[in-house]
Amino acid sequence: MWAYILRKILYNIPVYLGIILLLMVLLRVNDPVYAFLGKSASPEQIQVKRHEMGLDRPFLAQYRDFVWDILRMDFSQRSWEQKRPVGQMIRKAVGPSLAITAPSLFLTAIISVTIGLIASFYRGRSVDRTLMLLAVLGMCVSYLVYIILGQYFGAYWPRKALGTSVFAVSVDATVGDEAGYFFVPANWVRFCMLPVLINLVVAMGYDTRFYRAVMVEEGTRDYIITAKAKGASKRKIMFVHMLKNAMIPIVTRVMITLPFLITGSILVEMYFGIPGMGRTLINAINAKDFPVIQAITALLAAVMIVTVILTDVLYALLDPRVRLQ
Amino acid sequence: MIRRVLRSRGVRKLRQNRWAMLALGVIGLYVVVALFMLATDAVEGIGQRTGGFTIKDRPVLGMLLVDKTLDRVGPNSVPGFFLRDRPERRLEHHQAYLDAVERALNAKDPEAALAELRFGSLRPADLGPDKLRELVDEGWALFDEVDEIYEQIDEAEGQSPGGDQATAPGAGEGEAPNIADLDAAVSDKIDQIEPIVRALFPIPDGLDGFLYRLKMLLGTDRQGRSILIRTVYSIKIALEVGFVTALLAVLVGSILGAAGAYFGGWVDHVVIWLFSTFSSIPSLVLLTVLAFMFTGSRFDGTLIPLYTAFSLTFWIGPCRVIRGEVLKVKELEYVQAATSIGFGRVYILLRHILPNTAYLMFINFSLLFIGAVKGEVILTFLGLGLKNGASWGIMISQSASEVIEGRFWQISAATAFMFGLVLAFNTLTDALQDAFDPKHVS
Amino acid sequence: MPENESTTRDGEPVLKVRHLTTRFRTDLGVVTAVQDISFNVYAGETLGIVGESGCGKTVTSKSIMRLLPEEVTLIDEASRIEFAGLNLASASEKEMRRVRGDRIAMIFQEPMTSLNPVFTIGWQLDEALKYHTKLNHAERRARAIEMLRLVDMPNPEQRIHEYPHQLSGGMRQRVMIAMALVCEPDILIADEPTTALDVTIQAQILSLMNDLKTKLSTAIVLITHDLGVVAQVCDRVIVMYAGRVIESAPVRDLFHHPRHPYTRALLDSIPRAGTAHAGKKLPAIEGIVPSLFELPEGCRFNDRCPHRRTLDEAQRRRCVDVEPDLSEHGADRPVRCHYPLVDVTVKETA
Repeated sequence: MWAYILRKILYNIPVYLGIILLLMVLLRVNDPVYAFLGKSASPEQIQVKRHEMGLDRPFLAQYRDFVWDILRMDFSQRSWEQKRPVGQMIRKAVGPSLAITAPSLFLTAIISVTIGLIASFYRGRSVDRTLMLLAVLGMCVSYLVYIILGQYFGAYWPRKALGTSVFAVSVDATVGDEAGYFFVPANWVRFCMLPVLINLVVAMGYDTRFYRAVMVEEGTRDYIITAKAKGASKRKIMFVHMLKNAMIPIVTRVMITLPFLITGSILVEMYFGIPGMGRTLINAINAKDFPVIQAITALLAAVMIVTVILTDVLYALLDPRVRLQ
Repeated sequence: MIRRVLRSRGVRKLRQNRWAMLALGVIGLYVVVALFMLATDAVEGIGQRTGGFTIKDRPVLGMLLVDKTLDRVGPNSVPGFFLRDRPERRLEHHQAYLDAVERALNAKDPEAALAELRFGSLRPADLGPDKLRELVDEGWALFDEVDEIYEQIDEAEGQSPGGDQATAPGAGEGEAPNIADLDAAVSDKIDQIEPIVRALFPIPDGLDGFLYRLKMLLGTDRQGRSILIRTVYSIKIALEVGFVTALLAVLVGSILGAAGAYFGGWVDHVVIWLFSTFSSIPSLVLLTVLAFMFTGSRFDGTLIPLYTAFSLTFWIGPCRVIRGEVLKVKELEYVQAATSIGFGRVYILLRHILPNTAYLMFINFSLLFIGAVKGEVILTFLGLGLKNGASWGIMISQSASEVIEGRFWQISAATAFMFGLVLAFNTLTDALQDAFDPKHVS
Repeated sequence: MPENESTTRDGEPVLKVRHLTTRFRTDLGVVTAVQDISFNVYAGETLGIVGESGCGKTVTSKSIMRLLPEEVTLIDEASRIEFAGLNLASASEKEMRRVRGDRIAMIFQEPMTSLNPVFTIGWQLDEALKYHTKLNHAERRARAIEMLRLVDMPNPEQRIHEYPHQLSGGMRQRVMIAMALVCEPDILIADEPTTALDVTIQAQILSLMNDLKTKLSTAIVLITHDLGVVAQVCDRVIVMYAGRVIESAPVRDLFHHPRHPYTRALLDSIPRAGTAHAGKKLPAIEGIVPSLFELPEGCRFNDRCPHRRTLDEAQRRRCVDVEPDLSEHGADRPVRCHYPLVDVTVKETA
């Protein structure tokens, strides 16, 4: 088992290094210094800045140093725009992002799997048909529209029409700067719950259909007929036999949605003003803040790779055929 | 051969599916409209380049040209569906009309100015400068009356501390006017301005009038542009993006996947490595990098960043699926039979294996089409899409600020049209899977 | 009822199937998979149901257990499956659950896919006991191990903790048998239990089933397309074709004196070794089974029937127009044919 994990980690390391390589190359296609200083900068200024940032060194040297920095988790390079260490910016931004993505992932998984189970249990009947119809209809509207309308009807309109609302339209100056601010329940409900609900609605269409399909397909397996031949009840068959086997594709799917929540949070963070990783990144892009962009994207890629490895490990835990090789 | 395909079991099953046929019909409709726009744009382009002719001014043919999406057709933010705006807004619209005529009348050569004047697609009435001046003055007079009533309302509100009560307390001497009555009076007055505006800018009869009403049907956006025209033009963009993306992704993915699975060995290793690596790049990272690369470059504002983003990520799905299927089919007996008869490898791949994976390609095409259409909205919002012209992405992004003011026309129109297209494709995907996938259970 | 065993058996049958008709709703209409099937199963005997793929033998067995998908299956109202005082054809799901696994058990063709891959052997054996007995954990465990020993599984205490993919095909089938018999059912239905196994294992499994039948006095209904298997283990045989029972007999009688032309043709088509047959064409039955959507008015075997050649015009006309009933025709066992073969003796070879 440990050998399996080790193998997975070792396999993914070169993949990650390759991604960093690709990343660094792409980011240097347009000269970052030029982009940052703008057209009016003189060649000398550009030269100075470039030297300062070590961007005039050979590419491989830069690559080597950057990888080394990542390994040591050293993000002390300073942001060009804000002059703060990148590491500090990231540390402040991780919390708010997690306040949105973690509950989104958790709630979406639980609710979608439950609905998928219910739909497959009552397969073909009106419960099933209605749920699946809603799912399809929900999938045909853009994420952006859900955010805009959600923000309006969830926060803005109640405040206008009723004078007050549970959800804030967006993060404003009253928000404190301390770490963990968004994890205080009152603050969370006020600033984070609406975005989480929106994420939920968006993801549910796809996920419930998928989980339902997984369960339905499980139901066609031979060993389900064996179970039925032994006298198992429909409930036992679904929640014991099918579910344990279905866990494999379900878990895989849940893990795959993780990255979506990182992308998804960009839109939500921008609209609701949450000072998380997504918004930091967008601001950095607009300001052409090279170190920040490089660091955050490398970090996100690392999260992705860790997710991949975790998925494989979970696979092994759930499927004895994988485990006992 | 086409007839043989049409009679095959899967296609027959598909034809029996009424929802699928409806969906295909809807898609066909969208395609026809898009082709129309493609054609007119092409014709106009040719016309302009050869300097020979233009169809810009033709009422129907020229209606959906790309430039027309940027034309103002009316005052800003007019609501659609014949609904009426609040009185203050209507006042603003009327004011816009009056201002336009007044400006022309005050020009050095009023006749010429009037001849050239357009408000959106309407022209001023052919009544001569004097009569027009009369009408304008009438209009301003009514404006003054409206202002008076507003003053009265202000006073009335000033007298009653809460301001929003229906009647002011009769604390002062004389009658305290009823605010609700005053509001009604304002509305009436504003209604009286309307015929004047109509007289100044009459809606023409016949085809032109019909087209005008059509363009105003869904209202106008912040810059007075017709939401209907823009929404319909966006169909062309959406279909273009969807079709090109899905086609390329399916082709590239299928070829790579089939090649890897069929030829095995190092080819397969390369293919696996490719899609493993590409799928390990979080899409956010990719988008970021692309945003960084493209903003400010000469491709900014075209569809190129969009296509780049899609082509780097969309090919992976079909590749995996086709590769898996070819791996399975490769081991089936009929392939082994064909090999033992002596057919060449490429021939077997093309003639025996790929036709059996064709349905998967169609299903993937459909799915990726939807992904591209929806992705365009988000990427445009993030700055990676079109910046000029019209697309659902542009419309929805712009509507964000309008919604705050309670104006839902643009977002509703764009969402509704997109909904129709995406729903049709979703239905089609399900139907395709139902009909062609032997293992599919509904 | 006229059909069935005229050979007298002791006692009442354990299972009585009467006029079983099962239909399916499909995309292309309602199709009748088995029509008016009737037979008995007696305690302690092995009844073989034999026929080509698609003749309805599996549908018959699954109809008895009510394992067919509810949404599309229609068991005719007139069908009766009498067992332990119930009519299984119309029993409630709750009643069926009590019967399945406990009184009637079933094993299937593919041991690889018929066992749940994510649960241990022990757990899967345990399950049936949990549903149907009141034994505690230790007692169930002991019983499971005992059962595995009974099916000649080496090292049962260790196997209990293993997963299906860790066993060979033959061993998996033994586990299936153990699982089926762990509650000591009255009837074991075995649907092509050896088809997916190679010949040596096949022999072992069949002899195992025979032993168990004697030890536990379970009746066995063995479904197969392989006449060799039938010869080895069955006491009585029913031959099915295109959804109908066409002949029914004790096994020796069937093999030595087949009465239905189809049975005869089946027996003839068994490849035989020996110089007498060398160089001769394999006597396969011409034609194919009729589609269940396009069944003929008359005898379903008619267009493939080699016996037709010996009939005159009027007789052939009758075969085309009128479907024969099952009747004894003066002999002592029923056959569905207007002109059954008489005094045909098929010699045994090798």
